[in-house]
Amino acid sequence: MLQQVELAGGKVTRNGADRSNVQVYVNPDANERKYLCETLKLDEHTLASALDPDEQARVEIEPEHIAIIFKRPKNYSSEDEFVFRITSAGLFLFADKLIVVLSEESPLFEGKQFAKVASLQDLVLRLINSSISHFVGHLRVINAVSESLEDQINASMHNKYLLNLFSLEKSLVYYLNAISSNGRLIERLKHAAPKIGFSPENLELIDDLTIENSQCYEQASIYSNILASMMDARVSIVSNNLNWLIKTLTIITIAIMLPTLVVSIFSMNVDFPGRQHPWMFWAILFLAAASVGLVRVIWWWKKW
Amino acid sequence: MFRKSANRRVIVSRPAGLHARPCLAIATTVRRFQSKVTIRCRRDTVDASDVLQLMSLAAGQGTELVLLASGPDAEEAVEALAQLFVNDFGLPDE
Repeated sequence: MLQQVELAGGKVTRNGADRSNVQVYVNPDANERKYLCETLKLDEHTLASALDPDEQARVEIEPEHIAIIFKRPKNYSSEDEFVFRITSAGLFLFADKLIVVLSEESPLFEGKQFAKVASLQDLVLRLINSSISHFVGHLRVINAVSESLEDQINASMHNKYLLNLFSLEKSLVYYLNAISSNGRLIERLKHAAPKIGFSPENLELIDDLTIENSQCYEQASIYSNILASMMDARVSIVSNNLNWLIKTLTIITIAIMLPTLVVSIFSMNVDFPGRQHPWMFWAILFLAAASVGLVRVIWWWKKW
Repeated sequence: MFRKSANRRVIVSRPAGLHARPCLAIATTVRRFQSKVTIRCRRDTVDASDVLQLMSLAAGQGTELVLLASGPDAEEAVEALAQLFVNDFGLPDE
């Protein structure tokens, strides 16, 4: 699907015109791919990389354009079961236009950072910046979700919440890999600045991106380390909660077992002294109740 | 303390629906208030201060949500949440 976007007068606006200077292809179909590869001369492999979530971020300098593959967080949906995934995006920068290739629809150009865009090169950097902001936003969500899961685990005897935490841990590993990959991309963009045509203002923005991306990486790394190091403790908490349940059930079982033993002894089909005594029924009941009391006293004495 | 209650209907306008970051924005906003705030979506009602529960709603674009608050600052809490929906959760992009 093709979306036409116009960069004019420093503003990015959606445009229905055929020849706008920013074209966004969302999951391009066969005809669109053919157009991109044959007419615009995009490398087929690079185009496939833009749609492949497992590709590494990189920059490729072609005779007629610059191809930039960068990593973005995939929009989270409830079916993802706490796995925050990564997706790739491709930017193909020509002298007069920018082709953006995405695997899923995403409103790319919203927000203050797209209110004043100086050039197509500037737009490229702002898109990478928005990806970093997106990562930071998701990291905050992961942190909030893990805190919420910890509260659930403290009172839980199920593996469900632990498995959710494992999913978060896995997500953070994906994120670390993607953020680090974006970091290398930003470095390469800086080195290739003359070829790409970055202005001094763009270079300043690249420096900012480097700092923000490394902060984002550190944040992801800290969250990942915390989750990984506390995982054993959380497994123990769930195991301990289960032990408490077993202990409670054992108390109930023992408390019922002793009066049952007393009553069953007197229920044997043999004669015993005092069987015909009018108070014998109450005496047996008293012995049964006393056995429950005995269990309670031993429990209290042993401090179980 | 005098308890008040308030409610408001809102529509999820974001194309990606009520996903990770909007949920965090809602939970963070709710935690600023003393009132207990819940969100009803279809037949489910969840605690609006819990990201985990909010994400489980899976409210897509166009879904109607009912914001329910009870407590001393219920009206303010509902108003702040409604503003969040109007301002697109203060998010730059998806």
